Amino acid sequence: MKFGLFNKTEKPSSDPQSEEKAVQSPSAPRDKNTEEWENNGQFIFAEIPSDDIAIDIKGINLWYGEKQALYDVDLPVRRNAITALIGPSGCGKSTLLRSINRMNDLVDGCRIEGEMLFHGENLYDPDVDINSLRTRIGMIFQKPNPFPMTIRENITYGPKIHGIKDKKELNEIVERCLQQAALYDEVADRLDTSALGLSGGQQQRLCIARALSVNPEVILMDEPTSALDPIATSKIEDLALQLKKEYTVAIVTHNMQQASRIADYTGFMYLGKMIEFSETGKMFNKPIKAMTERYLTGRFG
Amino acid sequence: MKTVLTAVASVAILIVFLIIVFTLSSSWDAIGDVGILDFLFGTQWSPSSGAYGAAAIILGTLLVTLGAIAFAIPLGIGAAIYISEVANPKARNTLKLVCEIFAGIPSVVYGFFGLLVLLPLLQDIFQDQLVYSQSWLAGSILLGIMALPTVISVAEDAIHSVPQSYREASLAMGATRWETTIKVIVPAAISGITAAIILGIGRAIGETMAVMMVTGNATIFPDPIWNIFSLISTITGILALEVPEASVGDLHYSSLFLLAIVLMVMVLVINLASRIIIKRMKRKLGVEPPRQAIFFKIGLIPSQGSFGDWISEHKGIITAAFVYLCMLVFVWMMASLFTGDLTALIVSVVVTAVVFAVQKVFEKIDSTVKQQVAHGGLTVIMVVVILILIFIIGYILMNGLSAIDWEFLTGVPTNGGRDGGIGPAIVGTLELMAGTALISLPLGIFTGVYLAEYAKDTKLTKLIREAIDLLNGTPSIVFGLFGLAFFVRVLDFGVSMVAGWFVLAFMIMPVIIRTTEEALTAVPHDLREASMAMGASKWRTIVRVILPAAMGGVMTGTILSLGRAAGETAPIMFVAAVSSSTAPYADSIFDSVMALPFHLYYLATHVVGSDAMQYGTATVLLVIVLGMFAIATIIRNHYNKKVKW
Repeated sequence: MKFGLFNKTEKPSSDPQSEEKAVQSPSAPRDKNTEEWENNGQFIFAEIPSDDIAIDIKGINLWYGEKQALYDVDLPVRRNAITALIGPSGCGKSTLLRSINRMNDLVDGCRIEGEMLFHGENLYDPDVDINSLRTRIGMIFQKPNPFPMTIRENITYGPKIHGIKDKKELNEIVERCLQQAALYDEVADRLDTSALGLSGGQQQRLCIARALSVNPEVILMDEPTSALDPIATSKIEDLALQLKKEYTVAIVTHNMQQASRIADYTGFMYLGKMIEFSETGKMFNKPIKAMTERYLTGRFG
Repeated sequence: MKTVLTAVASVAILIVFLIIVFTLSSSWDAIGDVGILDFLFGTQWSPSSGAYGAAAIILGTLLVTLGAIAFAIPLGIGAAIYISEVANPKARNTLKLVCEIFAGIPSVVYGFFGLLVLLPLLQDIFQDQLVYSQSWLAGSILLGIMALPTVISVAEDAIHSVPQSYREASLAMGATRWETTIKVIVPAAISGITAAIILGIGRAIGETMAVMMVTGNATIFPDPIWNIFSLISTITGILALEVPEASVGDLHYSSLFLLAIVLMVMVLVINLASRIIIKRMKRKLGVEPPRQAIFFKIGLIPSQGSFGDWISEHKGIITAAFVYLCMLVFVWMMASLFTGDLTALIVSVVVTAVVFAVQKVFEKIDSTVKQQVAHGGLTVIMVVVILILIFIIGYILMNGLSAIDWEFLTGVPTNGGRDGGIGPAIVGTLELMAGTALISLPLGIFTGVYLAEYAKDTKLTKLIREAIDLLNGTPSIVFGLFGLAFFVRVLDFGVSMVAGWFVLAFMIMPVIIRTTEEALTAVPHDLREASMAMGASKWRTIVRVILPAAMGGVMTGTILSLGRAAGETAPIMFVAAVSSSTAPYADSIFDSVMALPFHLYYLATHVVGSDAMQYGTATVLLVIVLGMFAIATIIRNHYNKKVKW
């Protein structure tokens, strides 16, 4: 972990994992906030029983070619809860999210070190089946990206890929997923028309329905509302709150209010480092790090 | 300045107008005396007995093109998918460049290769089936290879332009890359892929030299109609062969012009179709109309009602059944050329059953393995495409380099072309290129400037653009015919260098215009504003700021199109080129000239025992054409590196 920036100076009482990263050597960061970081190595301030952690991210370092994008990031993602990642543009929050279902594998020259435990297994183990991994960890993207097919075909795409052929079963999946995504009533009479004819908000909910069609355990959302208007945004937010009853949700958002509205836990990232992770209420009411407070009060970012 | 540029740009309209007027007026006698219907559907083409029924030629053109595209689709689309989806992104540009080289090889060199390598090879393989060495099959294979670069580059562009978000969405659901490609990317790009195929057909149908050298040009119907080993004829081949024999003004001459009009109409229809499809693709990536089975669209089957429901319910099975039926018939057709009809039927049933079984097994296997198999297949296709290219170029260079010495490069052909050198042909080609450049550069670049900088959305502009598109799609042999009717006869230049200049210049003008316009529009608007803000006039801004900034693109396009002009045979064979003459070097621009591509064609088809000279000539031609291609590529890369907006 030679790229670590945080010096452990105080032992956290609340976090069992932080003991594992007791030693981190300082390098020479150029940022003016260096001092603060060096004085406060700890950044996990939430107590989550290890049984309730769906994905346990530990000490992730990630490089795009020569450029390092993530530095020793930890993140416990709690089961059946919403975990939000916030931070200014380019802080690495999307990179972190995309590395969870290994979408970063698509990027040429991307290299990653560290552990992501999912059911006790490291996602970056060489013999992990990447396709079945992505079936279990679904993803919603920034811009709604339905396929240029009918609404029905969009949803049956995943199940068909995974070998379901029975018409009846497929129809049931279509209905269930659209219901879950709170879209069914709006599109029930036009399932066989093009998905591209839907409004942006409907398209994004269709994408969520599509992600649900393969029964994932975890749903990653990468700024799912940044391309939507306020009404469509609030629908997606309501939907996320519904979904956490059955699924684990991790969401990247550029909108602090969104995090405070829906997230149970929030991580604040800056320049590729996790600055502070705690329960959302705690973070927004009384952030521990001065930098978090400055960001939340709008003094930078 | 604007008036001058408008006038120059309107030259394109004038050229199209002249081409239409002179081909039409030259074919007037045939339209009157033979009659359109008798001409189109008459089965007998025999100039000596005065019979001008072109049905066999028109059908032959379609059949050869069909065969070519059947050859080019699997290779071309496969290679396009490989380049866009399987290959390392870094290798993409290199692979595209390699495919462009295919397009750079002159038609006559392909024909020469076909004559020397392909025909003997086919004769070895199908010695019982081939009566003559030439065949429909040979023509189709050669044309298929020539259509490959068009198919690959257009299809690759279409596949590559499918938004990355589709790939991400599919992969994020646990689909493999292959499943993503075949179930999301290819369907999304299907319009562009279709356009690629149609443009490939357009390229193949207008091709002259290669196809006339290997098909036998026999105006007969294949018997049976699917007999790919039969001799066959194409419109372009018949034109190239018979125009020099026909005497001006008689019915034969005029019928040939009518044949050219039929060809132009065919090409026009093809180009229109591709334009409509490309437009649809652009619309589709915006909002796609709901997909319905084709039956509903054309109203064959009511979309409501039990039968319509039944159809849409079983869409997949019906399509599959149709595909297998086609395959059954096709395999039977091909097999029946080798054995009796009954054996052929058994063979076709067995083959279809095997394919069906293989497909069923393939469906069952693990999707990761499936991906490996599919990607392996695509890799094989890519390798085959590259090997074909290397083989063609390598074979000619290997045999040709030994023939080249100082005497060969500078000497005059003797003994009917069997000995001596090709000095006059090299000089003639260079002279033709120089004159072509002299005419086409000002016309092309000024028109490009007009379109990029001055043209408003007026009727005139639209007309100019239409004219340029038309010129771009016109088969090269039609330019030759037009040159013969206009420059050689009406303007009375005779068969001369200057007639060749104009014909070649008109032919390459559309490419120069288009690349100039593209390069100019790519220059950022800030630069224009910066210059004008200092009080420079618009024209001064263009000359001093915009054109220099766009120089890379303009030069690349110009050199590429001049390279194409250097290799063209069909347009100059009636108007400028001669095989050899008492005075091989032209004294004035009104003399006929020798040219490398025509010399190669003449040696390969008329002079027995000139093999070494043929290889040498082909090598020199290849070196010139590919050399210009290399220079253009270097310039493009240089400017791409230097100028980044």
